Amino acid sequence: MAEEAKFKCLRCGHGFTAPYTPKVAEERACPKCDSNSVRRLKEKKDS
Amino acid sequence: MANKSSPEEIRIGVFVCQCGLNIAGTVECEDVAKFAEELPNVVYSDFQKYTCSEPGQQTIKDAIAEHNLNRVVVASCTPKMHEPTFRAAVQEAGLNPYLMEMANLREHCSWVHINEPKKATQKAMDLVAMAAARAKLLEPQMETKVPVIQKTMVIGGGVAGIQAALDLADAGYHIYLVEKQPSIGGIMAQIDKTYPTMDCSI
Amino acid sequence: MADAGRHPNIELLTLSEVQRVDGYVGNFKVTVLKKARYVDEKECTACADCLEVCPVVKPDEFNLGLSTRKAIYQEFPQAVPAAFVLNMEDCLGNEPIACGKCLEACEKRCIDYDDQDKEIELEVGTIIVATGMEVYDPTELDEFGYTQYENVITSLEFERLINSGGPTEGHLIRLTDRKQPKTVAFIQCVGSRCEKRGNPYCSNICCMNTIKDTLLIKDHWPEVQCKVFYMDIRAFGKGFEDLYKRSMAAGVQYIRGIPGDIYEDPKTKNLILTAEDTTTSELKKHEVDMVILSIGVVPPGDMDNTQQQLTLQRSADGFFLEAHPKLKPVDAATQGIFFAGCAEGPKDIKDSVTQAGAAAARANRLMRSGEVTVEAITSMVDPELCTSCGICARVCPYNAIYVDTKKKTPAVVVEAACAGCGTCSAECPFGAITMRHFTDEQIMAQIEAILAENAQDKIVAFACNWCSYPGADLAGTSRLQYPPNARLIRTMCSGRVDERFILKAFKLGAPIVLVSGCHFTDCHYINAVTWTQKRIEKLWDKLESLGIRPERLQLDWVSAAEGQKWARVMREVEQLREAVTAKEIEHTKRVITEDMLKKRTKKVKAKAEAVA
Ligand code: SF4
Ligand code: SF4
Ligand code: SF4
Ligand code: SF4
Ligand SMILES: [Zn+2]
Repeated sequence: MAEEAKFKCLRCGHGFTAPYTPKVAEERACPKCDSNSVRRLKEKKDS
Repeated sequence: MANKSSPEEIRIGVFVCQCGLNIAGTVECEDVAKFAEELPNVVYSDFQKYTCSEPGQQTIKDAIAEHNLNRVVVASCTPKMHEPTFRAAVQEAGLNPYLMEMANLREHCSWVHINEPKKATQKAMDLVAMAAARAKLLEPQMETKVPVIQKTMVIGGGVAGIQAALDLADAGYHIYLVEKQPSIGGIMAQIDKTYPTMDCSI
Repeated sequence: MADAGRHPNIELLTLSEVQRVDGYVGNFKVTVLKKARYVDEKECTACADCLEVCPVVKPDEFNLGLSTRKAIYQEFPQAVPAAFVLNMEDCLGNEPIACGKCLEACEKRCIDYDDQDKEIELEVGTIIVATGMEVYDPTELDEFGYTQYENVITSLEFERLINSGGPTEGHLIRLTDRKQPKTVAFIQCVGSRCEKRGNPYCSNICCMNTIKDTLLIKDHWPEVQCKVFYMDIRAFGKGFEDLYKRSMAAGVQYIRGIPGDIYEDPKTKNLILTAEDTTTSELKKHEVDMVILSIGVVPPGDMDNTQQQLTLQRSADGFFLEAHPKLKPVDAATQGIFFAGCAEGPKDIKDSVTQAGAAAARANRLMRSGEVTVEAITSMVDPELCTSCGICARVCPYNAIYVDTKKKTPAVVVEAACAGCGTCSAECPFGAITMRHFTDEQIMAQIEAILAENAQDKIVAFACNWCSYPGADLAGTSRLQYPPNARLIRTMCSGRVDERFILKAFKLGAPIVLVSGCHFTDCHYINAVTWTQKRIEKLWDKLESLGIRPERLQLDWVSAAEGQKWARVMREVEQLREAVTAKEIEHTKRVITEDMLKKRTKKVKAKAEAVA
């Protein structure tokens, strides 16, 4: 179930990948700055 | 909320606390109180040395009576500390306790901006303005009284759980002592002699 | 202990775990799972006839594996209740062919192989959390050789070893040759006071425990030499210093310095410790027969479960967080719940008992009057605006809203069940739900007041009542300094923060909006915080599609114990604020106003169509 997803920290700009399970709300923190403003980048559907 | 029989005029009183020097050491409380006078619906504003003290609370009660206040803003410390105090004070003066709003000038302002008194004072003014804006829209709330079941659950049957259970059981309450092991006793039961008296643990 | 078993007002529920807690102060509903004991607790007289016939031999957990027990057993002789327990996993089986010996042996017929786990429903007014502690497992500190050398044991194992009810009937022996050791070394702070491994805090009890152990040794076996390796000896309590002095006077050697490693002499099984005595800067080798690791105290492994059931909070050390360190040291932030003993932090027996007394007094105070006042900060549905979409019912963590989406009847709030988180209100797409004492209008008025002047200088920050707001308070009491540009709006839960509040703030020119709430495990409203996160994620997408940098909406989970984090977040968001340009703010104001207008015309159109 768990897949990899790309994340971006909206605090420090750090990009990273982490395991991600759709529909499961998980607390996330940026591995670099520890902020919780972590956004999952969605795959562009059209490409 | 709008169609009450006679729309009551909102009359806010603002009480700025110096907390000795805890707040006044950084924030110009007098300026903040003056600033608050100009805010919409504020009809009374002043500062006190210790608002939570007996005389401080009396000032609030007197001002409510004298100026016919129906909303109160106390700009002092965190509501986690004195919200119950000031709610009780306004209640004694005949107001619904939910018509009192606090602005946190101490934990969230004077103590964390010690080296920036100007900006801290500015922030304190904003915090008071926010509280007054909210106070204007506050409505009385009814607290409900609910019966308390005269039973306690104690989770954990170690020394602390046993002691708490015994104390309450002796006071006449029914206790459920929940323990995950087959016997109560916890870690204490594994210990031979205990300090400082060197007696047996069980 | 026996008093608790006998007391007419105490009902013992052993082999039991709390499964679910609902309700609120004065009226908690608890589900407890009582596991099968397979032995009738009331009938069993602990005659031990069954014990003699049981063929199974297993390591005894109570004696930490230093001795053995049967599949049917009693944890220890003074156990309360005094009944035996059958461990089904160890039992050979209930078929008489397989075994069934104990059943035959028991004259009173109190063994029942078909005993079942039971769910028990309780109703209580108050809850005391006395979940205690566990001891630190020194396996990871391999330089002490705990896993390699048999003569290296923990202080708790030592307790069992010298206990007259223990595996050696109280004889001091070492495990390899079962002979009395000549020299015993104690190593202090194992698993404590270390930032890298184990725990950073002082475990509070181990210094005195070691002093006590050395005195026990010296009293019974004065010829045994004791060496204590320590960093500091913390003998701060009443009578403690006396014991320390007595121990020194009895000839116990105290050496300031923790050994770097321990080796075993393969022939003698003696242990060789190398340690620097930091009082003399001398590096010395010590040969001893036995090493006792003075292990620290850690929060129990199943604490997460208790925490979530009761929506409690924990401090950085992992133990439960009290409502206020000085004013309410035994109260949880949740009304009606109190702490006793190590649940709240490492404590010795005296302190545990003292705190238990305090917790009992606090619970008594609450129950005595027979009633409590509860704040009615609940939600209200306006049936005129409700379209029966059912969203509120889906998000409510307490199932406190009922909507019949088929019959299209408006949502109904069960007030007694509503905890007042405000998630429903924030999620309702039609603005049909009002939160008492935290209305949309009140919050909007606060936002307007913040941004009335010099909006570009200000950060609009939302903080929840239980974690982030007190976290900011802690930054204050700790006098942590941070930039003065944020303005805090308190809500009960971050789940209350409606997307309209955030958009409104941006529309009025806020450069940065910060939403802060509890960590997921701390959430005071079961899982309301997960809706906060989902909402913010959606908003990031929306902002981006409007051409607004999503970075301007920030999210952080700050617990009541994280004053440091709060100050750090404040510094970081201030940096972000400085990067927001005036042009950007103007653009944001414009696009959001346009977007709101568009929505409004859409709604008006839809209404007109519906009427037509
Ligand atoms: S009300 Fe708060 S800020 Fe004022 S004196 Fe009392 S403790 Fe200090
Ligand atoms: S009580 Fe003593 S041995 Fe235990 S952690 Fe504290 S200082 Fe170390
Ligand atoms: S979310 Fe709003 S509109 Fe939908 S059922 Fe609940 S109250 Fe009604
Ligand atoms: S979501 Fe929260 S506020 Fe709404 S009904 Fe449920 S508990 Fe009450
Ligand atoms: Zn980051």
